[in-house]
Amino acid sequence: MSFRKTGAAILALVMAASLPVAAFAEEEKTIEPTEVTFWHGMSNTQEQVLTELTDRFNEENEYGITVKLVNQGNYGDLSTKLTASAVADELPDLAQAYNNWLTAYTDKIVPLDEFVENDFDDYEDLVEGYRAECEQLGFIGALPFNKSTYVYFYNKTMFDELGLEAPKTWEDMLAVGEKFMEEKEMPAFGVDDLAGFLEASLAQNECEYASDEGALFDNEAGLETLEYIMGLYNNGYARLIGEDDYFSSVISTQRIGGYIGSSTGVSYITADDFELGVAPLPTNKKAAANQAGTNIVMFAQDENQQAATWEYMKYLTSTEATTEWAMKTGYLPVRVSAFESDEYQSFMADDITATAAYSQVDAFFPAAMFEASNAVRTSVNTMFEEVVLDELEPEDALAEFVQIINEECDVE
Amino acid sequence: MEKKSMKGYLYLAPALIIILIFTIYPLIRAFMLSFMEDYNLVNGSYKGINLENYIDIFQDRHFIKALTNTGIYVVFVVPCSIALSLIIAVLLNSHIRFQGVFQTIFFLPYVTSTIAIGIVWGWIFNSDYGLLNQLLSWFGIKSIPWLTSKQYALPSLIIFSIWKSMAFDILIFLAGLQTISEDLYNAARVDSTPRWRVFWRITVPGIGPMISYAFVMGMINAFKVYNEVYALFRGKNGPAGSANTVVFYIYDKFYNQSKYGEASAAAVILFLIVLGLTIIQRTLTGKKE
Amino acid sequence: MNRKAGNVIANILKYGVLIIGALFTLMPFLWMILSAMKTNAEIRAIPPVFFPSKFSLENFTTAWKAAPFGRYLVNTLIVTVFNTIGVLITTILAAFAFARLNFPGKKVLLTLLLATMMIPSEMLLITNFITMTKLKWIDTYQAMIVPWLASVFYIYLLTQFFAQIPDALYLAAKVDKCRDFKYLIKIMIPINKGPITTITILNVISNWNSFVWPLLVTNSREMRVLSYGLVQFQTEEGSAYELIMAASCILVIPIMIMYLFLRKYIIEGVTQSGIKG
Repeated sequence: MSFRKTGAAILALVMAASLPVAAFAEEEKTIEPTEVTFWHGMSNTQEQVLTELTDRFNEENEYGITVKLVNQGNYGDLSTKLTASAVADELPDLAQAYNNWLTAYTDKIVPLDEFVENDFDDYEDLVEGYRAECEQLGFIGALPFNKSTYVYFYNKTMFDELGLEAPKTWEDMLAVGEKFMEEKEMPAFGVDDLAGFLEASLAQNECEYASDEGALFDNEAGLETLEYIMGLYNNGYARLIGEDDYFSSVISTQRIGGYIGSSTGVSYITADDFELGVAPLPTNKKAAANQAGTNIVMFAQDENQQAATWEYMKYLTSTEATTEWAMKTGYLPVRVSAFESDEYQSFMADDITATAAYSQVDAFFPAAMFEASNAVRTSVNTMFEEVVLDELEPEDALAEFVQIINEECDVE
Repeated sequence: MEKKSMKGYLYLAPALIIILIFTIYPLIRAFMLSFMEDYNLVNGSYKGINLENYIDIFQDRHFIKALTNTGIYVVFVVPCSIALSLIIAVLLNSHIRFQGVFQTIFFLPYVTSTIAIGIVWGWIFNSDYGLLNQLLSWFGIKSIPWLTSKQYALPSLIIFSIWKSMAFDILIFLAGLQTISEDLYNAARVDSTPRWRVFWRITVPGIGPMISYAFVMGMINAFKVYNEVYALFRGKNGPAGSANTVVFYIYDKFYNQSKYGEASAAAVILFLIVLGLTIIQRTLTGKKE
Repeated sequence: MNRKAGNVIANILKYGVLIIGALFTLMPFLWMILSAMKTNAEIRAIPPVFFPSKFSLENFTTAWKAAPFGRYLVNTLIVTVFNTIGVLITTILAAFAFARLNFPGKKVLLTLLLATMMIPSEMLLITNFITMTKLKWIDTYQAMIVPWLASVFYIYLLTQFFAQIPDALYLAAKVDKCRDFKYLIKIMIPINKGPITTITILNVISNWNSFVWPLLVTNSREMRVLSYGLVQFQTEEGSAYELIMAASCILVIPIMIMYLFLRKYIIEGVTQSGIKG
């Protein structure tokens, strides 16, 4: 059964089951005082800000709801713990999660459609790409929380020296790469997330990536995309991460012209001896930029617990909270109204990363989600390194990618 | 040895109870999982009971690659580590100065953080300024891309792992060597027996059980190699997956892809291979004794 | 050949091998300590710098402040001490049974137990986690202690050592009407002080460093252990290596002290043993 179909079936079931809630929402809302557990994977500054925001909610909410924050390590740890807890039926009321962590237990997610419809100020105000991601399961399965997008970080000092501008199109990318190779014998590009780069590049060429039917880019547009990508790598304009740990270190030590990575990665770049530039992702036939970062997903079981959790979710995604969260952590606001608020606009005036990120907000898209999407992601990352190391021709690289994706999707 | 009685089980009971609950029971579950097609860990649903998972993994090129890599890895790492450790342990046990200092140093890898070890070895293997390539350049060997090429990733992993497993082997051999009676060596000295003969006639038989232990444990651990890969390739399995191993594969299937049946099937295959080899090893050494 | 010259060459070779080996072994450890004192830029420098420009303890204070290490330390100690005592009891008893007693199914059982080590322990985590929730042990000390109270690895190791003790000693004890348990306590354990100390150290270290399981079975900050302090500095986008190294040092130092202290006992334990062939 396909993912969407399962989701729809579950939604129908849940809708039938939750009719009393809908009726109840018409009346005046009463929530008994309770404790809500929120599992997260935030550390350092991010955790501090989350704690500040949550403390304020605990003090100010009128129902006596107390949200208890529980740090469960990094994302990998959090994901493992969620899976184990789902099996043991011990899930928390609320957790940070990516959609693809949840594939084995979508039926434990509380659909938020009813809540959004009856008790949410302006759903359309949430950034469109984020909404699409939250609806990938066939129902509203989450609200966006700590979101970011991929941008191009570059060494502006070097670019100025070579008389270059940040690349806006695929052609610019190749031209910038060539100039860097000629003048500096240095690659101008690196990519933290290879599979994400392939997916975004295909989207920029108006080509679909993959679904339950397997690879969808075995066509002219797909070949053009691979010609572009292999052009970058086979000419040495772009490099793999190789012996380094993150491209943020490579750019910090000035061994690369720039790299494509998450906008929150900026805190790991040390630009002491050069000026850092940030640009939106290049476009081709259209603009497309990966969004990243987790959402918040509700698992709370009884009605009161759900209502209390929902209050907190509303609070975290409110214009005020998301603006403050974004300004203090470097994540992006989840609402258009927050982006447009005076506060954030004046913050953005001094923050080149936020400016670059916001400039592509209409091009945000969520990573494709289907039954084998996790397996495809792993395999494509491996295959990407392989085609680059083997310096394959675009046609052969395309064939390899298509084959490995189809294998993972069990498509002949 | 005395006649058989059930008393042994009384002594074994505390250990057996814990092992039954926390090892055997989950193992049996994993074994059952491996026969369930499309098993969903959370709600327990599955499509059918069959060999689909086994068929799937044997058709998966990543698994085949992981299996061959692991095989090559075991063949190199286990004997090399034992041989080198034996030499060092014997040297440490001979009358040398600073014996305590040396012993402490050789134990250090056991307590050093894996991340630090990974970083330092990344530095040793670095193609441009790494120690190893500098060493090789003295012999006129061109710089080798140890960690960035598909060809050398596995050899790098093997070198690193030999180093890493030595700390434990040395520890065990030292403990064993110190139980060999000094009188035996003294007698040999009186007879002015050559050193290599002393080594083969007294030392090796004297710590025979430790060598056999190190061999079995080394093999089991080598088949389960995961942390070493993770440390050396910064959480990945080498360039283009060229240093993938069976446990890395299992881990990825289980935790990243939620393919519990396939992960269990791969674990069962690993289990059968190691079990087979252990039985062979035990019958071989058993006959000698 | 001149015997003296041969000895000199042998000595050079001997120390040469030991020193080279020691350097390779020492380096990651030194690197860890030195890195803990570096700035972020020094950590990333290409080519790498070995010594920090100044020896500052700032990373240690930053790392220490990032988490309640004091509380974590207490928890780690509690878990380590109780688990190690338990492990020693189960291991010694089981090893004695395998090495000395004769019972039906012994060979099969030992092979079976050895076989259990061959499945990667990651496979067992989720089932054991469910067992913990069923026992209502989540967020308790026993959840971190009990599942690891027996180790085939140590049982097998100690069995090898116990098996080395000559039968004659056992038979002599039998003649003296010494019962098995008394024999184990009075003779086997004192003779095998060395290996038992080794097992103690190995078990303490594995408790000390264990990370995934304690994280899985605890929820509250009050129950977390020391290794959890490391997680603060690793994220998806980058890692603060200088802080990770500082936290690693904080984690390792107590173990080092313990090892240096116990090392004397290992050697003593072995040399004092009454077995001289």
